[in-house]
Amino acid sequence: MGKFGEIFLGILSAMGGFVEIGELTFSVNAGVRFDYRLLWVTAIGTLGIMVYCEMAGRIAAVRQRPVFSLIRERTGYRSALLTLIAANLVNLLTCAAEIGGIALLWQLLSGAPYRALILLALAVFVLAVWLLSFQAIERVFGLGGLLMIVFIGAALHFGPDWPRLGAGLVPSLPEGGPRDTLLYFYFAVALMSSIMLPYETYLYASGGIEDKWTASDIGLNRLVVSVGFALGGVLSAALLALGADFFGARDIEPQLPGTAALATAAAYGKAGLYAALIGMFFAFGGAAVETALSGAYNLAQFAGWPWGKTKRPRDAARFALAWIALFVLAAALIATGIDPVKVVEYSIVFSVVVLPFSYFPVLMVARDPRIMGKHANGRLANALGWFYLVTITLTAIAALPLFVLTHAGQG
Amino acid sequence: MTAVGGMRRLDLLREVLDHEVVDVEGTSCGMVDDIEFAAGERGPEVAALLIGPGAWTPRLPALFALACERLFGRGVVRVPWPEVSEISETIRLRSKASELGLGRLDRKAGRWLAALPKS
Repeated sequence: MGKFGEIFLGILSAMGGFVEIGELTFSVNAGVRFDYRLLWVTAIGTLGIMVYCEMAGRIAAVRQRPVFSLIRERTGYRSALLTLIAANLVNLLTCAAEIGGIALLWQLLSGAPYRALILLALAVFVLAVWLLSFQAIERVFGLGGLLMIVFIGAALHFGPDWPRLGAGLVPSLPEGGPRDTLLYFYFAVALMSSIMLPYETYLYASGGIEDKWTASDIGLNRLVVSVGFALGGVLSAALLALGADFFGARDIEPQLPGTAALATAAAYGKAGLYAALIGMFFAFGGAAVETALSGAYNLAQFAGWPWGKTKRPRDAARFALAWIALFVLAAALIATGIDPVKVVEYSIVFSVVVLPFSYFPVLMVARDPRIMGKHANGRLANALGWFYLVTITLTAIAALPLFVLTHAGQG
Repeated sequence: MTAVGGMRRLDLLREVLDHEVVDVEGTSCGMVDDIEFAAGERGPEVAALLIGPGAWTPRLPALFALACERLFGRGVVRVPWPEVSEISETIRLRSKASELGLGRLDRKAGRWLAALPKS
């Protein structure tokens, strides 16, 4: 395949892999509760994940250093261990939520028992990761996730109110009392966290090293991240718009991931429903695979084990056992009957607390010309990097109090 | 590492501790969990790199250290300092991991996984 084809596929995979169960849940519900008022968070969060994935990808291309090795080197052993435990707890919870979400989707289609479908999903994912290469995993789930575009079609079908949508890009407080304001900030924090989930950065950098990027791939990295994630951000915005225009207008508050497909069914009938459900399967499945792999990458890079999907499992044995263990634990957790959407909420709020610890070492390395040479951050990347570090630190400080004060978004 | 009057000055904390250790074949075989010093003619000298739970558990708060010792044991592999061939982003060794007793668990688990198809 030519370079153009590679770029095209990379962009599409980045777009298809952008949305997962947490982002879907919070985007739709943010639209239902606050109309377009939280659209600015989607825009800021999308730019944030672009900035940090670009930096992590650039470090991978120039120095071939994965994020977790850097975290241990730069922040010290204790702090890195704390970040590892927290990041992998988020990975476990997110993976559990995605598997649960998929079992719920399959139950909608087949009516089979929920726990049997969890086992089936576990088997499918373990086999997929065992048998497929890193790039094939990225492509299969990323491109399958592109069916989620049907949500953009549905958002256009129900006609976004463009002036109101434009106004949503400027922060404004909701009408109502202090309780509504608190809820608004809770949703802002959760939406930001769901878009900037740290596993995406870990995985992106590790993937770059797996694909043997060099400094000559920096331009490609920048293009794939900026265009692919921007399109992913449009998809998130469409979900928020559907929350406002379709569900909010009908007083429906979707509690299950499958409910979002009602909007596409209303717009395009059965075909729309199936496209949405299959798209969600690939999007959630991609995130399940990515979180399990990300957990294994983190652990192996922290401990200095051989790692990588390009290696045979026998040559990176503890890495392989780590991702299998993460899948099994996640399936066991969700099979206890805990509501996947509740797990999403916990993982999203917990994840925001980890964000500053994950992103700080990335910024420290990317801005250092002694390490990165002429590929160190320029003024714009540094300004954006610091802006987002301050933003996510403030978000992290606010997350837990908001979670408690709003009773996990229940108001 | 910085040059001071023709000599190399090495910041052990920043350039060695908690860095990845790679054997002569390029295989990752742990992190520098601790550094052993010995009395030399001109004061303390680096004697070895220490790798393994017995080296990293003492760096944890006491309660966690105790729990981790129970879980992971106290095994330490001592890599003599002259085994180090290069200090850059990773610490490169002159020998194979197996010759130094590093990466034992990986080889053991690898033999077990090798029985499975497509492994």
